[in-house]
Amino acid sequence: MSFDKNDEFYVGYLSEAPAGVAGLIKKVVIALLALAAFIAVLLVVNQSPFYPSLFEFGTYRSFEGVIQEKPYPTLLVKRPGEAGKLPGFSQYYLVSFGKFGAAEAVKGLDGQQVTLEGSLIYRDQQTMIEIVDGSISQVERSNGAAGLSVEGEGQKLGNFTLTGEIVDSKCFLGVMNPGNLKPHKSCAIRCISGGIPPVFAVQDKNGMTNYFLLLSADGQSVNQDVLKLIAEPVKISGDVYQYGNLLVLRADPEKYELM
Amino acid sequence: MSVNYQAVLWNRQKKIYDRVLAAGVLLYLIIFIVFGAIVHPNATAEILMIRGFGTASLLLLHIILSIGPLCRINTRFLPLLYNRRHLGVTMFILALAHGILSTIQFHVLGNTNPFVSIFTSNQDYTSLSNFPFQPLGLFALGILFLMAATSHDFWLANLTPPVWKALHMLVYVAYALIVLHVVLGVLQAETQPLLVILLAAGMVWIFALHLVAANKEKPADMQVAELQAEGYTEVCGVDEIANNRGKIVLLAGERVAVFRYDDKISVISNVCQHQNGPLGEGKIIDGLVTCPWHGFQYRPQDGASPAPFTEKIPTFNVKVIDGRVWVDPRPNLPGTPVEPARIGS
Ligand code: FES
Repeated sequence: MSFDKNDEFYVGYLSEAPAGVAGLIKKVVIALLALAAFIAVLLVVNQSPFYPSLFEFGTYRSFEGVIQEKPYPTLLVKRPGEAGKLPGFSQYYLVSFGKFGAAEAVKGLDGQQVTLEGSLIYRDQQTMIEIVDGSISQVERSNGAAGLSVEGEGQKLGNFTLTGEIVDSKCFLGVMNPGNLKPHKSCAIRCISGGIPPVFAVQDKNGMTNYFLLLSADGQSVNQDVLKLIAEPVKISGDVYQYGNLLVLRADPEKYELM
Repeated sequence: MSVNYQAVLWNRQKKIYDRVLAAGVLLYLIIFIVFGAIVHPNATAEILMIRGFGTASLLLLHIILSIGPLCRINTRFLPLLYNRRHLGVTMFILALAHGILSTIQFHVLGNTNPFVSIFTSNQDYTSLSNFPFQPLGLFALGILFLMAATSHDFWLANLTPPVWKALHMLVYVAYALIVLHVVLGVLQAETQPLLVILLAAGMVWIFALHLVAANKEKPADMQVAELQAEGYTEVCGVDEIANNRGKIVLLAGERVAVFRYDDKISVISNVCQHQNGPLGEGKIIDGLVTCPWHGFQYRPQDGASPAPFTEKIPTFNVKVIDGRVWVDPRPNLPGTPVEPARIGS
């Protein structure tokens, strides 16, 4: 069809657009649909890779172990086999439903053997349990519970200066993916202010992430002190401790440096 | 053609438009979310949906903002304009889905009211790279809501066209807010250069298109359509009036005088203030409309007699398109200056 006919005039309430106009519009619409599909594909393949992590949302498992209340609630569960140099237990972070830590849920249960229900959250070697509300029940302490504890402040490994990002452990370990950086910042602020353990995620040379639970120099929680530095590149110098299965970085939050 | 008949036909075009729109949106979302889930098995479904709805809405906004200037550049694009409101409402719904999902994901189930949290979780309002980007998105969504809610003709009529039009110009504010929301939000984490390039290309396209359209004379048929919409009436051809003479035409039952002088057209009341003489039968002497009966004079531009006289007669707004004279039948108050229409244009 010809596009030289300039005298065609389209009126919206007519049933048919003039042939020339209709032909052009058809082409434009097809081009737009193709463009939309093309842009969708471009955007899909140009997103940054999503690191493997998992939240077993809706799947509830039973766990039995000993509660460690401090510095953040964890559950110590006996390993089935020999663990070599590692402690004879697995240590799971405990958090509550939503953007809340589990401090309330485990209050007064320090050192007690319990059963609880929860959903697993994990990334790399880090594991967390989102406790089902009200599912914790204290049980008779069994022989198997012997050795399920971390003494004192753990074992000091030395002083290190590390560069990384402060993340809320719950989202970063798998509840959200991605669960860090600017788009996630406000959520991480909510989570950490709600008691989720703040973790310092540090990439090593090989791109592997190392996880350091953040505590103040005297071993107290720093949740309310780190809110301004979340989701930004931060440098922290402090003492690293092996605390059960966890690495703990102890430093005065006043001395965290924004890069 | 009966009124009913028109309504049925009108619906047919509308239905095609809406079906194509729905198909396009679905196509985009399915590719983004389903293909996205295959390419990125570790991504959570919520994130893919948040990103899918957000980008679909932004893409649609680019299309919406392109239609206006495209139609000014070439009237053949007019069918796209015809049901643009549905594009706008669809874009708002996509943006709303993005906003609701993001709010649930990032702010609900926390220790603060989600809406307070949007504004207070990140308080780095003085930083640039760290600026809280979510309130920007929320403000844009508010504007899109106002526009979607008032898109019906009911509001066009009740708000009056100038207010309605001003309200809908806010779409450019919304566009700017959304671009900032993207730049200060997801682009701070997603570092693939292509994403920045795409966003920049979209902005350049919108800007260039508006520039081209602004520099182009509107096609005559569009100008006519606009004048008709504003209530103008075609009264005569320029060539029916001799230079420095007038022509009396009937306008909404009233006689008015159309004068031609210096390649210009002015329209004033036909009734002389002196004794109701027919001004249109007079001529222009020394640049003044001169009454044929006793010689009272009026400036054609504002209907006022030159000092020291104080007579004033009503003037009329006038346009010339393709050699035809179009007059707004609503008279201006006596003595109101009116820009004469240029015959050349
Ligand atoms: S009527 Fe016009 S000058 Fe007397």
